[in-house]
Amino acid sequence: MSAAPRDNASRQAPRRGARSHRPGFDSRRRAWARHHRQMATDSARRLLRQPLGSLMTMLAIGIALLLPAGLWLALDGARGVGSRLEESATLTAYLAPAVGEREAMQLADTLRSHPEVDGARLITAAEGMAEFQQALGLDDALAELDDNPLPASVVVSPLDTSPAAVDDLRSQLASVDGVDEVRVDLAWLERLSSLAAFGQRLALALAILFGFGALLIVGNTIRLAVESRRREIEVVTLIGATHAFVRRPFLYSGAWYGLGGGLSAWLLLSLGGRWLTAPLQTLAESYGAQFVMPGLGWQGSAILLVSSTLLGWLGGWVAVHRHLAETRPR
Amino acid sequence: MIVFEHVGKRYGGRFEALADINFGVERGEMLFLTGHSGAGKSSLLRLIMRLERPSRGRLLVAGHDIDRLHNSQIPFYRRQIGVVFQDHQLLFDRDVFANVALPLEIQGVEPREGARRVRAALDKVGLLHRERALPIELSSGEQQRVGIARAVVNKPALLLADEPTGNLDPQLSADIMRLFEEFNRIGTTVLVASHDLALIARLRHRVLGLREGRLISDERIDQGGVA
Repeated sequence: MSAAPRDNASRQAPRRGARSHRPGFDSRRRAWARHHRQMATDSARRLLRQPLGSLMTMLAIGIALLLPAGLWLALDGARGVGSRLEESATLTAYLAPAVGEREAMQLADTLRSHPEVDGARLITAAEGMAEFQQALGLDDALAELDDNPLPASVVVSPLDTSPAAVDDLRSQLASVDGVDEVRVDLAWLERLSSLAAFGQRLALALAILFGFGALLIVGNTIRLAVESRRREIEVVTLIGATHAFVRRPFLYSGAWYGLGGGLSAWLLLSLGGRWLTAPLQTLAESYGAQFVMPGLGWQGSAILLVSSTLLGWLGGWVAVHRHLAETRPR
Repeated sequence: MIVFEHVGKRYGGRFEALADINFGVERGEMLFLTGHSGAGKSSLLRLIMRLERPSRGRLLVAGHDIDRLHNSQIPFYRRQIGVVFQDHQLLFDRDVFANVALPLEIQGVEPREGARRVRAALDKVGLLHRERALPIELSSGEQQRVGIARAVVNKPALLLADEPTGNLDPQLSADIMRLFEEFNRIGTTVLVASHDLALIARLRHRVLGLREGRLISDERIDQGGVA
């Protein structure tokens, strides 16, 4: 049996419209800000309630972020060294063995007066031998030699250190009479720069990969939190909570995890840097180079913290979104 | 207030929970929905709450076809309905006050105004003195009253209750029903699903009977018997 709507004549109930409460824009904005404040502190308090677990999650995120950040720093350091090396790019003109000492000095003057040349320094055969002995520590073995097998050479510093200009200068110098061969240390410079490009790509790939890893860590942690508050979500959804309202505390938890992860990555990075500085400096000194440990600086630190916080926020979003999508009415 | 037009609901394509349901509820009316468990009472309420969508037919609430509601509008629709659950669905990690305040918090009511309304609702169900108690410390009758206070705290136009007296003894059940009548008296439309036929018979309101997903009776006791 079915019944159409009929008038309920016996009782005159007072009529009242659907009294939906419609607060103004300003009060809605205030309510929104209030809820944000509440959820930010509430989610932080929840994290602090399980300090060890939260710390471990943050450390896991920190370690995941450490590798790309560290590699980026290493590249930054290498770039600094590379540019200094490029500035010191020189050509070495080896003179023909038949060239005597006086002719060599004249040749050095000729090369010095070349318009593209900044300076030229003659290294006589004897000086070359002495340098060689010192550098290799092979005093005894070389002393056995009757003849000095090394030719005299002129070390030329070009005005323009760009690879193309240096290569151009090399062919010009090679055609000078009495010059046997001109060597440029360009090949390894090029190798270094392609190595740096490779390193940059590697750092980017690792950043994406490990950033995704950090996202999964946060996502999984938040998923468990969502699971443990499943009933609460169900109840507030039943009484009219929007998805944004349900999502908010978890987004803040995710952001806190991300920020904590970023901070631990930052801490590990500066501790690791300090730990590695001494041996690296010794190593650099043995090459006669100055080494300055690259640091993140203000900008780098800000980028690290902001991106880790955003990653955490995104991880929280993904976890809650999945849960909400599952509970949509059918 | 509510109009069902040939509404049917199937689950998984086979099981027919509701078939060809037609009835209307006036604004300010109070009525009961009866039937054995599995007759479709809960399904019917879940349709009104838009927790589920009808497989067939049309369902109007306050003049709106609620199947047409966009997902983003559903929360705002639900805010106009107060719901009392059999298992009262209280949150056990917060006190009575916070439980009742939940709908207001969701709607972003200013805290001082909210506190005033929460106390008014708790006063109405006679639990003002227990506002700092945790739900676990309350008896089941008191828990159900907290659930009712939460359902009415934002003064909904429509109050739904699904077996609100399911676990209560007759005296407490009668008290709960009296509360619903009071809300109805101030204009709230009240729809109560219950299988407590003895209690319903004494209350003299319209009664809808469901059996195996079909509406089998629509009795208006206060008009002097079966309509």
